Amino acid sequence: MSNHIRTGIEEPDRKMLELYYPEIAEITRTKQITELEKWFEIALPGNRDLNHQPGQFVQVSLFGFGEAPISVTSSPTKRGVFELCVRKVGTLTTAMHKLKPGDRIGIRGPFGHGFDLQKMEGKDILIIGGGIGIVPLRSLINTVIDRRSDFGRFIILYGAKTPGELLFKDELKSWREDPTIEYHVTVDQGTPDWDGNVGVITTLIPRLDLNLGNTIAAVVGPPIMYKFVLMALKSKRLPDENIYLSLERRMKCGVGKCGHCQINHSYVCQDGPVYHYPVIKQLPEAIQ
Amino acid sequence: MEKFNLSTSRLNALIKHLMTRGIVYAPHKNGEVSFSFDEVRDPGKVILNYNRTLQSIKKYFLPPREQLLSFSLKSGSLSKVEPENPLRIFLGVHSYDMQAVLRLDYNFSQGNPELNYLKRRQNSLFIGVSFEPDTYHFSRSVGIMVEEFDGFDLFLDKHSSGYTLYVVTQAGEELLSGFDHLEEAPDRPATHREFRNKIKYNFNRLSEVFDHAWDSSVWEEIAQRCVGCGTCNLVCPTCYCFDVEDDVNLSLADGSRYRSWDGCMLNSFAKVAGGENFRADLSDRQRHRVYRKFKYITDVTGEPWCVGCGRCTAYCTAGISIVETVNRLCEEYEQTVLRKPLAKQDWVL
Repeated sequence: MSNHIRTGIEEPDRKMLELYYPEIAEITRTKQITELEKWFEIALPGNRDLNHQPGQFVQVSLFGFGEAPISVTSSPTKRGVFELCVRKVGTLTTAMHKLKPGDRIGIRGPFGHGFDLQKMEGKDILIIGGGIGIVPLRSLINTVIDRRSDFGRFIILYGAKTPGELLFKDELKSWREDPTIEYHVTVDQGTPDWDGNVGVITTLIPRLDLNLGNTIAAVVGPPIMYKFVLMALKSKRLPDENIYLSLERRMKCGVGKCGHCQINHSYVCQDGPVYHYPVIKQLPEAIQ
Repeated sequence: MEKFNLSTSRLNALIKHLMTRGIVYAPHKNGEVSFSFDEVRDPGKVILNYNRTLQSIKKYFLPPREQLLSFSLKSGSLSKVEPENPLRIFLGVHSYDMQAVLRLDYNFSQGNPELNYLKRRQNSLFIGVSFEPDTYHFSRSVGIMVEEFDGFDLFLDKHSSGYTLYVVTQAGEELLSGFDHLEEAPDRPATHREFRNKIKYNFNRLSEVFDHAWDSSVWEEIAQRCVGCGTCNLVCPTCYCFDVEDDVNLSLADGSRYRSWDGCMLNSFAKVAGGENFRADLSDRQRHRVYRKFKYITDVTGEPWCVGCGRCTAYCTAGISIVETVNRLCEEYEQTVLRKPLAKQDWVL
């Protein structure tokens, strides 16, 4: 009888119910690419495009295990399906490694902000990827390759701990052979059959000849890498406003509520994971 | 604003009347010294003269653990779980707890609005009650008076011979319909209520204090005492961070996804799967918690997200006081930035 009493809160929009509700997607192909990393091709219902930007992430649900934020590794230029590459590090990712084509997972997203392609158009692109940082960068790299004439020079620096930990080896080969890509790779520790660079990724930076005003750097790697890469880019005199970085944080909700991914006032799941470096400089917790 | 006399002896009749209109929640005694909001079954057990409840009424809108969805592992199907929203009447709410609800309304309606919270919040009515500040309350320092009506539908102001019942909203007036024999109350001078616990500066100066507090030694000092138990998060009426986890039933055939309260003071809060912990030090976690209350959201909304209830201090297992922390930062600001004490007339911007 008293439900007619009006309170200050209006009837919530039905769409809000979808906030935490994943869509069921199907794994269409998989490939074990290293001992730790497995690649998945995933189709949303009706082969609908994910509509992501390079650098964005999705929340992957394995029912019974929970949800984890995973970067999208395919480029938006790939239509109908999207790809994830997952390192086995926790319970959910370990369970995910057991999945096969035909298995179903839950997907929410894409979330957050990726690389600003509009700001990159017409510019020289410098990719700096360390370890599994190459996974989200591959989305940007393949976008640039597919829209090659929209961008200037294309430089890719990729570093891994060992040759065995290099991901997407077929694609690395095609980048090396592509005359429009300046591709440089290094490993922290070589092996007898490795004849390439040995050293941390920052050793590749001093030798670059950059058109400083026209170069945009996209940097993704482990937290420890950022400080040193930024120092190396600074000594090259690359302006701060030409640098974009992606930050890893714990994300439970993906929609700016749960608080886990917060860096100072910024929610990485909303404002990031890709940040403009001048913004990061205002966030003392971002890079320690 | 309409106001009526309500003698203490008619309080039970009012509660009985409210119980005919909706589910009534009010403070009850819980053990020797604690109070808690519970559903009213016996109006005689309701206690309106209390200092603070261990948990605020936040628990009714953001339950400590709630089901977000359920799933069948056999068929792979999902089902949505939608909260119910019966009419609920919250009686005997202190102004700072009401203000905390209004702040949570902001958090759950801006950006990506959340149905779970808003739906629970929807059919809720609030009846405030005045309180005598104890040594932990400092809500006046964050701009919240004892008799702050904002958010309330009705408000009970205690005086020596009973209550003055203020009708704040239309909904409050409707709530009273059928409760007869109310007589118009005379104008009374406001009761003087002294807050002994105070933040040194007016809250509108705190943003500039926190502009300079990042590298303060205070964080390390309180971290020396803090044990990282998360009690301050647990009892804070404006903390709303949560964790999400799946539970599978014993049959292994189906399960549910739950969200439960989490706390930024807990060690694993900012830890990622690879093992990196982005706030591994207690000093960083303390600083983050206090900045959440006085700086981050405040810079956007203009309001402190601390409502001055005193719970985090009253229940801290290590005796850490948020007022002391903020006052220490104010003093450091005077010494290192202003290089002189802020004159009292300059407290308010």
